[in-house]
Amino acid sequence: MRVLAALSLLGLMALLALGVSGVFPRPPVPPTEDVAAEWGAENVVAAIVLGVRLWDTLFEILIYAMTMVGVKLGLRLLRWEHAVPPVRETPLLRRSADLLLGPIVVFALYIAVSGHLGPGGGFPAGAILGTALLLLALAKGVERLSAEIHEPSLEWVEYGAIVAILAVAGGLLVMGHRGSGYLIAVNVLIALEVGIGAWVVLHRFASSRGEV
Amino acid sequence: MGVILLSALTLALAVFALTQRRLLWGVIGVGAHSLALAGVYLFLAAPDVALTQAAVGFGLVTFIYLLALRRTGKLIVVAEEMPPLLYQDGQRVAGLEWEILSQFGRHVHQDVQVLWVPRKEIPRLLRAGEANVGAGGYLPRSEEAVLLTRPLLSTRMVTVRCTPGPLGAVEGDRGEDYLPPDGLTYEDHGELASALGAGEVGGAVADLLHVRQWVLSGEIQPVQTTEEQETSFRFAVAPGEEDISRALDAFLAQLEETGELARLVRRHVG
Repeated sequence: MRVLAALSLLGLMALLALGVSGVFPRPPVPPTEDVAAEWGAENVVAAIVLGVRLWDTLFEILIYAMTMVGVKLGLRLLRWEHAVPPVRETPLLRRSADLLLGPIVVFALYIAVSGHLGPGGGFPAGAILGTALLLLALAKGVERLSAEIHEPSLEWVEYGAIVAILAVAGGLLVMGHRGSGYLIAVNVLIALEVGIGAWVVLHRFASSRGEV
Repeated sequence: MGVILLSALTLALAVFALTQRRLLWGVIGVGAHSLALAGVYLFLAAPDVALTQAAVGFGLVTFIYLLALRRTGKLIVVAEEMPPLLYQDGQRVAGLEWEILSQFGRHVHQDVQVLWVPRKEIPRLLRAGEANVGAGGYLPRSEEAVLLTRPLLSTRMVTVRCTPGPLGAVEGDRGEDYLPPDGLTYEDHGELASALGAGEVGGAVADLLHVRQWVLSGEIQPVQTTEEQETSFRFAVAPGEEDISRALDAFLAQLEETGELARLVRRHVG
């Protein structure tokens, strides 16, 4: 077993050395400025991730959604879930949640809609949205928050967001239109999908592994 | 320069996280490592990646680890207080069972927390999943559906009589099995002993270790003792926690083999 591991490690290192030494021909890379200008974006990364390499991104989004569904189903199969006792409200946490929730959500929205201009985009915006929900859950208790935000319908919103991303991307691909409006729309949809997915995963973990 | 410094910090935090014996500190180390890594990305002109790394690595992942720790990181022990096996000594817990459990906790990288409960609550709490281990001079009873570890210390049930009158026992304890229909039950051994001292009951059914304790402290003067069945103190483990039960069993077997258990028993029980 050790010999096998050492051999495969050596093989990988040899491949890496070959790649670095320039034995393999490299495909020509178009100048990034041109790509960004073509998509009406200042952030080259956004233009590449959501434009040129949309195919990769779509699968990343699908993997994310599948992880969420997997956590949901897997934890249900394990039968670890039990009702979480209501959490005592602590004034400190409640107040800081009240104070911080607005800025966090606004920042997440800002990051989502300005993703094509500066650093940001749908994924970080969604993760920040997830932390905002987490903060609320810490202040209010998981089950109460889940009921207040109508979690089952939110899940459908998430699946809807995935379908919308696919539809928008496919439609634009057919029409051949490229522009910043498309990038903003897809970033917001991705933020929605990632944020809701993060909440669903956190909720499942919380109700299976102990209270928050 | 900044990149090199932050990379060194990342490496140092990773080593810190790996070398912690307490899991909580390990999780905090991983979180701090994520934050330092976000800094590295920022210096490498990748603010997008830095944002995601900070939000996911520092916020969400740390939280999920903490959630997992809440259940796996703590070994909850429910017990009735019973010197010299397990008792509160000022701010800390002490006793033979405590030494075994705290060593076991270090062995499996878990903090041990002892909750004092009446004897009859122990099996219910274990079955409800509220606790992992039942201790405090736990004598197994057949109808309690809990897992049991190997015997820790053998003892014997005895009936002691001081004055004529009904017999008493602790509710839920093994002694209740030997109680005649007119017997009285008490919540814990302390109440039973004081009832016995006050003459409320004429005798008691309990294990030898408790009776010895009462006689030595002068709480009771037995007139007659009848020996009942032999039994032994064990740890009860929550049903469904086979892993803990197996690990605790192996740990006890190892203590027995090295003679450490005999030494502990000599020191605490005599």
